[in-house]
Amino acid sequence: MSEQCYHCGLAVPENEPVHRDIKGEEQTFCCIGCASVCEAIHEAGMESFYQRTADGELLAPPPPPPKNVELYDYDEVQSEFTQNLGDIREIHLLAEGIHCAACVWLIESTLAKLDGVKFGNVNLTSKRVKIRWDNRQIQLSTIISKLANVGYSVVPFDPNNAEAALKKQNRALLYRVAFAAFAMMNIMWIAVSLYTGADEGEFKNFFHWVAFGIATPTLIYSGYPFLKGAWDAIRSRRLGMDVPISIGLLTTYFYSLYITIYVPEGDVYFDTLIDLMLLLLVGRYLEAISRTKAVDSTQRLMDLQPKVALKIENGEEKILPIRLIKKGDWVRIKPGEKFPVDGVIKEGSTQVNESMLTGESREIHKYEGDEVSAGTINLNGTVTVKVQSILQDTALGRIIALVEEAQNSKAPIQCTADKIIPYFVTTTLTLATASLLYWLQFDVNTAILAATAVLIITCPCAFGLATPMAIAVASGVSAKLGIFVKNGAVLETLSSVDHIIFDKTGTLTKGEMSVVKTLGNVEQFASSIYAIEQRSEHSIALAIKTYFEEKQVSQAELGEFKVHPGQGVEAIVNNQSVYLGSQSWMKGLEVDDLSDWSAEVDLEEAKGHTCVWLAIDGQAQGVIVIADTLREDAQALMAALKNEGIGMTLLSGDRAAVAHSIAQELNASMEVIAEVLPSEKDAVVQKLQAQGKTVAVVGDGINDAPALARADVGIAIGSGTDVSMDSADIVLMNSKLVDVYNARLLSQRTLKTIKQNIGLSITYNIIMVPLAMSAVLTPMIAAITMPLSSLLVIGNAARLRKFKKR
Amino acid sequence: MDVIYWLIPSMLVVGLLAVLAIIWAAKSGQYDDMDGEAHRILHDDD
Repeated sequence: MSEQCYHCGLAVPENEPVHRDIKGEEQTFCCIGCASVCEAIHEAGMESFYQRTADGELLAPPPPPPKNVELYDYDEVQSEFTQNLGDIREIHLLAEGIHCAACVWLIESTLAKLDGVKFGNVNLTSKRVKIRWDNRQIQLSTIISKLANVGYSVVPFDPNNAEAALKKQNRALLYRVAFAAFAMMNIMWIAVSLYTGADEGEFKNFFHWVAFGIATPTLIYSGYPFLKGAWDAIRSRRLGMDVPISIGLLTTYFYSLYITIYVPEGDVYFDTLIDLMLLLLVGRYLEAISRTKAVDSTQRLMDLQPKVALKIENGEEKILPIRLIKKGDWVRIKPGEKFPVDGVIKEGSTQVNESMLTGESREIHKYEGDEVSAGTINLNGTVTVKVQSILQDTALGRIIALVEEAQNSKAPIQCTADKIIPYFVTTTLTLATASLLYWLQFDVNTAILAATAVLIITCPCAFGLATPMAIAVASGVSAKLGIFVKNGAVLETLSSVDHIIFDKTGTLTKGEMSVVKTLGNVEQFASSIYAIEQRSEHSIALAIKTYFEEKQVSQAELGEFKVHPGQGVEAIVNNQSVYLGSQSWMKGLEVDDLSDWSAEVDLEEAKGHTCVWLAIDGQAQGVIVIADTLREDAQALMAALKNEGIGMTLLSGDRAAVAHSIAQELNASMEVIAEVLPSEKDAVVQKLQAQGKTVAVVGDGINDAPALARADVGIAIGSGTDVSMDSADIVLMNSKLVDVYNARLLSQRTLKTIKQNIGLSITYNIIMVPLAMSAVLTPMIAAITMPLSSLLVIGNAARLRKFKKR
Repeated sequence: MDVIYWLIPSMLVVGLLAVLAIIWAAKSGQYDDMDGEAHRILHDDD
């Protein structure tokens, strides 16, 4: 039975418990983190924290403290999170490690004990801390490290960023919905009283005035988005959905107002007006929450690149925020860190993982004089780099700028409903005028009644709900299937896509190395190879290790071990000297019998496969062939898409031979464009679009991001980079390629539903308009039929929930 | 039945006040933290 950690209550691992003296008694902890936090809490005299945590509540071990906190003391860095840089500053912190009310107490008590902290408040729900401090007395980094001591990792964040702004906008819309709902509940009983007989009594006109009193603020406050949208549309001379809605709302309102004032025996439509606004606002709100806004590009750039660099000044290292680094400065990058700048290596050599830029998963060797790019990862050597460019001017920065440009130049999606609007408005106005002219021959009052009735009854409520309802339901369904639709409107576009561009590495292929086959006597020496690769962290080593692990090979005793960077490894196993490495290295070592497999190796390497040679005691024994293999469902997807007659292109930054061999393996008739730069990928999309094609792009890397943003529909793989997901419209959360096909099926189903919905609302109009034109429409009929038509549309959209993927 | 003439408007005013009160409460952040405040009152300053 294992002990429980004194701090967090988790089981203590049996092999490495941590012991510390707490109040003169030795206690056991599960990790050093827990132990230090517990010590810090007791030192500060806040041990009652442990009584405050509810019984049975498990604290998690504390998150690792944030790195490089000193950088947050620089005004340049703080200015990103707060506007006020005076002596008293206020900042919002995002906290990791808050689980319960006791944490709130611990953080607030810790902050209260710090001199210079004026105010500290924890929001338990959103896990945020707001602090105000005097910058003359205490530095932000001190506050952050004090909180890290008691087990909370906090980082500053800007609450006014794009995402928060969008949330606020949606919240404002929700207020309008709430107000319309309140108004509807109140006007309902007035309407019911009128319909059930009050319209014959003395209160009729009074009830009209009450209804007017409720409807007026609702039209102004809740109806504002429609009126403003219509006004903007008219000023820019286009017809959006808002125009007919506003015509309907205003006609209904002013007609009812006219009746209220001048025709005490007439009927008013104030209740219908409010019902309409409520239903339409609900549709608007659903539409709004299914959209997510793109992150600000500079913010994104800051997230991808380190915020600080280690500058070398007169032989000394100094941590500086990235904005203070200038061209020509020398900076040092340690193993495991990301390069903060674009530059040229001046000292040292290392292996670099550039997969985030190129999509290529293999490590690349960089020596003195080689160029490195910001955002890529320095794997195993310390290097000093002369800065060539920072932030926006780096290769990464230019890609992000390209994404931004592509996003901004994208035309708004014309949805099916929008295309019908001009005809709809023209027809409605013509019919209204026709009724007016016809009835004028008999009686002015009837003429006005008939004309306004046409405008009231055709108010496109069902029409306005047709698209948002279908898309809201489809987004919900797709989320359950692991397809995250960021921009609902593309669900309509996707069904008309006739050309799909695929990225190679990481999209069609898994993006990681695995063993394809072995040649010669490799299997015979499996346990020796397995033992050697255990020691290596290289991606090729990892592939070989996994291969033998699956074969459940036993591990031999490993003797002397040496890595030759960029060439291979040598080791003594079972008194044999074993060499694993490249062909050129083997040649240099003058290994015998290389010619046995060299023909086959040449063939494999032409396909872009990597070949690792095995030599034992100076004798070549075989070859392990390693490659980035296709995803299991790639072929199925290709076949399905081919069936539908969709054009396909393979677009890769890799060598042409490799790209062609992948296309061949896929057995698909696809165009292959290889050796392209990120900006050229974007251009390929533009070229296809210029030919009149509707293009979808499927990709996963930062280098695909501009193309994803440019495409009519951008689809990112969930296992890919954050930037690609930011730029895409759809993200495949399960990283399954077949979901591209499923998304398309769902999109076709959605478009069908939208068309059905539009059909339903047109049918409704065809039935109701003659009624209105013949001047027999009553408020009662309007109050029943108009919401009914909307409910039909909503019900039809709900049927989308039955969608199943193939 | 003359009572209706002032009862209905005053009822609407009361309802409206309630709506405004809720909107004010939500806007001033009183619904931002649904869990923390309930516990904060139990914390004493020791």
